[in-house]
Amino acid sequence: MNKFRIDYSYIASLFISIAVALLIGALLILATGHSPGEGYGAMIEGVFGNSRVFGNTVAKSMNLCLTALAMAVAAKAGMFNVGGEGQLYLGGLAATMVGVIMSSASPIIVIPLAIVAGAIVGGAFAWIPAWLRVKFNVSEVITTIMLNSAAIFFCKYLINGPLKSTEKGVLAATENVFAFKLAKLIPASNLTTALFYSAGIALLVWYVMGKTTLGLEMKVTGENPKFSEFVGLKRDKMMIWSMIASGAICGVVGMMEVYGIQGRFTENISNEFYFDGMLLAMIMNYNPFGIIAMSFFFGILKIGAYAMELSTGISGEISQIIFAIIIFLMAAQGGFKQYFGGVFGKLKARDEERRIEMEESLDDMELDGMSSKGGR
Amino acid sequence: MGNLSEIFNLGLFQNTLRTATPVILAALGGLLTEQAGIMNIGMEGMMLVGCFAAVAVSFAMANALMGVFAAVMCGIVIGIFFAVFVVKLRSDEFIIGMALNTFAAGTTVFLLRSIFGVKGTFADKGIIPLPSVNLPWLESIPVIGPLLNGHSVFVYITWVFVFLVWFLLYKTPYGFWIRAAGEHPESLATAGINPDKMKFIASILCGILCGFAGAHLSLGYLTMFAEGMSANRGFIAFACVIFGMANPPRVFLAALLFGFLNALGLRLQSVGIPPDITAMTPYVVTVLMLVYIVTAGEAKRRRRAKRLVAEQKT
Amino acid sequence: MNSESSTETKEIIVQFKNVSMEFPGVLANDDVSLEIRRGEVFALVGENGAGKSTLMNVLYGINKPTAGEVYVKGEKLESFHPSVSIAKGIGMVHQHFMLVPSFTVAQNIVLSKEPRKSGFIYDLAKANEITENLVKEYGLKVNPKDILRETSVGIQQRVEILKTLYRGADVLILDEPTAVLTPSETEELFQVIKRVVREIGMTVIIITHKLYEVMAISDRVGVMRQGKLVGVRNTSDVNERILAEMMVGREVLLDKLERTGKVGDVKISVRDLFVADNRGLPAVNGISLDVREGEVLGIAAIEGNGQSELIEAITGLRHIESGEVFIQGKNATKLSAREIREEGMAHIPEDRISTGVSGPSTIVENIIIGKERRRPFSWKGIHLRKSSIIRYAEDLFKRFDIRGAGISTQVESLSGGNMQKVVVAREFSYDTPVFVIAQPTRGVDIGAMEFIHDKIIEKRNNGAAVLLASADLDEVFRLSDRIVTIYEGKITGHFKAGEISKMDIGYYMTGDRRETGDE
Repeated sequence: MNKFRIDYSYIASLFISIAVALLIGALLILATGHSPGEGYGAMIEGVFGNSRVFGNTVAKSMNLCLTALAMAVAAKAGMFNVGGEGQLYLGGLAATMVGVIMSSASPIIVIPLAIVAGAIVGGAFAWIPAWLRVKFNVSEVITTIMLNSAAIFFCKYLINGPLKSTEKGVLAATENVFAFKLAKLIPASNLTTALFYSAGIALLVWYVMGKTTLGLEMKVTGENPKFSEFVGLKRDKMMIWSMIASGAICGVVGMMEVYGIQGRFTENISNEFYFDGMLLAMIMNYNPFGIIAMSFFFGILKIGAYAMELSTGISGEISQIIFAIIIFLMAAQGGFKQYFGGVFGKLKARDEERRIEMEESLDDMELDGMSSKGGR
Repeated sequence: MGNLSEIFNLGLFQNTLRTATPVILAALGGLLTEQAGIMNIGMEGMMLVGCFAAVAVSFAMANALMGVFAAVMCGIVIGIFFAVFVVKLRSDEFIIGMALNTFAAGTTVFLLRSIFGVKGTFADKGIIPLPSVNLPWLESIPVIGPLLNGHSVFVYITWVFVFLVWFLLYKTPYGFWIRAAGEHPESLATAGINPDKMKFIASILCGILCGFAGAHLSLGYLTMFAEGMSANRGFIAFACVIFGMANPPRVFLAALLFGFLNALGLRLQSVGIPPDITAMTPYVVTVLMLVYIVTAGEAKRRRRAKRLVAEQKT
Repeated sequence: MNSESSTETKEIIVQFKNVSMEFPGVLANDDVSLEIRRGEVFALVGENGAGKSTLMNVLYGINKPTAGEVYVKGEKLESFHPSVSIAKGIGMVHQHFMLVPSFTVAQNIVLSKEPRKSGFIYDLAKANEITENLVKEYGLKVNPKDILRETSVGIQQRVEILKTLYRGADVLILDEPTAVLTPSETEELFQVIKRVVREIGMTVIIITHKLYEVMAISDRVGVMRQGKLVGVRNTSDVNERILAEMMVGREVLLDKLERTGKVGDVKISVRDLFVADNRGLPAVNGISLDVREGEVLGIAAIEGNGQSELIEAITGLRHIESGEVFIQGKNATKLSAREIREEGMAHIPEDRISTGVSGPSTIVENIIIGKERRRPFSWKGIHLRKSSIIRYAEDLFKRFDIRGAGISTQVESLSGGNMQKVVVAREFSYDTPVFVIAQPTRGVDIGAMEFIHDKIIEKRNNGAAVLLASADLDEVFRLSDRIVTIYEGKITGHFKAGEISKMDIGYYMTGDRRETGDE
């Protein structure tokens, strides 16, 4: 399968997957004794019903989109960053502390500093697995999984201990940064000026990945690291920096959660946001456009399901189930195409491709071409 | 010194065994898939479904054994499901594992809400827990007796499983096939055995073991179901698999170490060491261990090269 | 050599009837009908991609033919699966060994047919015993308890052969068996083949394209070309020239290459170099050589004698244990591949798929990479200027005669020859004074080969220093001004072009002769 490329057949698969998942969701709603129309209606009402809920939906989508782009940035250079959750926590905490320490400074200074602090700490924490991978060839997949938990526990320790708020009745959280909260774009919603920062980041990612020399170099490095070294690219640097960039984005997401929504750092700053974004990025083949489009769909699904639960009593977890089913189907779409060969036409069966690859590499290994022809 | 003996007493080691057990079970499953060449991070979800199935059936049928049976059946189904995607449809094992976790978290909460009408936690007197084992003769042995006696039945079954998994992998042809399927599938295929079949079997066994892990968690360790009650144990199990290099006795020890640190963490609070710090140690240690394994291998190769080149020169 | 008895009267053991094997877009076997007789050594020869391995993979059940039938001992193969073929007595030693590195020798030999006790317990002691017995019976020495990973390639090949013997194979297929062997190991292998044929009446099918091996070992030979079987002959009725012509379909007459220009300063200088291979074993053992501008220095060596590691060390892709490398007078021993390129070297790697290209990328991306920060391809090294890049790539695409659907074709979908042209186009468009070239035409058709040769000589005539390593002796002879032979990581001979014949150089490549004195 080709990374970063989305063609028509891929889009078709995506729509079919969504349709199947929504159908299963409808059956589940039926099983709870409600009509699917009622359930999905409540969902749509809960997303577009008024400007507040719409704002929340956009804010959720933005969050998903950024975490997914963070994943994509690392993946572009061949790094698999599973550690975004930890990077988000540490970055968020660092950003919070800027506001806590500089509580009397102007927001004009604090907000940019907080963003920078989140980015630096998130990036620095992503540097560790990247460096281990480049220097010692230790799989970043496993180290980032491990470091996630380590980071989250570390943050919990800090907010229960040294950085704990002195306010009464506040458990396991830092001091608040209410004075610096980002301005709301839609009153009472979660949508704040963070939208502009997010849009800026998304634009930057899209531009760098698609239009620059660096993007091309990252792509080649991700596809064939050996070739990257051979052809004289700064492979190691690229792998490390793509990971740092990924971690930095996660750190900024953490910052936005604190300054945009929660107002202080708690241990619930993220509810596995990064994992959702990561999966989203993977099924969209790390394509920035696809990620942006799809994050809105999943944002609607998540916020809508929450509203549906409130108004109808149907468990909002249906959104997670639908989300997971879409992921399953998209992850398997290549396999399905092979299995029901010809349904989608074009794509060659993956096994055949593999076999040919094998044959070709075997042929390439054939040595000594007629070394003594006509010789003796 | 008084503190120390308060911390390092019998209870600590009893707790170690207790907390380690679900992790050991899941990790045994994880090491089977690992040996079969599948990176399985879906154990979290597999366990969670087991937890739910065990509680639901134990409650419905007022029978703990049926609860365990249900958890295992669910494990088999999930194992097949996982293998269909990863092996048959050749999907990315990482995506499927992660999606499985999301799916399990969503489905269990959905069912909890739809069937039992509760949110968060379901604890009811109607849930029949697994029995504990009390052997008078064991109790009478000093130190070891109290340490080993009185645990939930799965604590003991788990030790048997460690042996069985080890035996399967290293003492039966099937184990060799599973390992060959993971290490060099083509060689198994050309010897006439389908490596995919081995991966399937490993996945199903993993599902079963995670089912047991879940049942133990919700019927042995606790007697309830709580949203997300696997609480990262699937990932800890994964860490144990990596830490123990997918070798059953080593994985067992790794899981005990994790359990020990966990149990220790709770106790160290009394002397002012925050539990979160002890909780994070195992993960950091796993990373360090991984670095050590990789660098030690490389250093060995380097030294050998140096030595042999030096020999060549003379 | 011929076996003592005439094979014509012998029973047919394997029969292909009109077998075709089609992969999407490639007809790998085209209506092949072939009979193999019991107790003969049958050689199957052909150029790269002629379909030899594909045909044998059909017999072994790995490939299911798209048309035709296969009979083994008179019975038709109803389904194609290795287990079916194994049961019929077919054994195959693949070019890439099908062995599990962490298992012992014995465990590999008995894999899938493990001796058991009480039904399901693996009898490990019995496995060792079985191996010992096989060793005694066939004289192929291996140690059953050795971990496979730690054994040499020659031993691993023996394990493969023992594996098939243990399974009761009486038809043994060997796919390019000598490609990875040293000359003495090759000789041993041939002894083994002769023994199993003579003593137990084994039938051996050997896939190769080394024609002298065909002459040395086989009774009959079948020649394949572009998926078709073009002829089957008794080995005693043919010679290497005839076979070569059958393989390529015409007499191979390459145009003479015109050489101009003068030899100048030393551009590549290697001093007493020691390099280890991937396993940490010494591969290059104290090699020194110089390449001057305006000349091609060819390295003639049998695969696996350290030439690959030497090239990688010079180009900065492999750690140097000791010794020094100078590129254009600058000490490059500790420089990275990138820094060495900056010193003025371009490089064609021996394995284009793993090293020379990025498969999923397009032709245009593969051509431009490395130059993308230069003008006019980007604005200040940041923003890609698509139109300039496309214009440039189109130009190279035409000049280097790359045949594909266009410059946006993914490189991995190209044929070997065209893929190699992409590599050559990129590397030769750097106007560097130094070129290090490994296996420039491996797996490439003759047209592309001539083209690439012309380009190399053009560079040489324009004053470039070229270091060439090739397993194709003809290529080395055709292109080189000077030749060094390497055997087991040491230089064994050093010649001017025309000073030595291809036959004589073989003695140096196999270590039978050595020049006295160093280099």
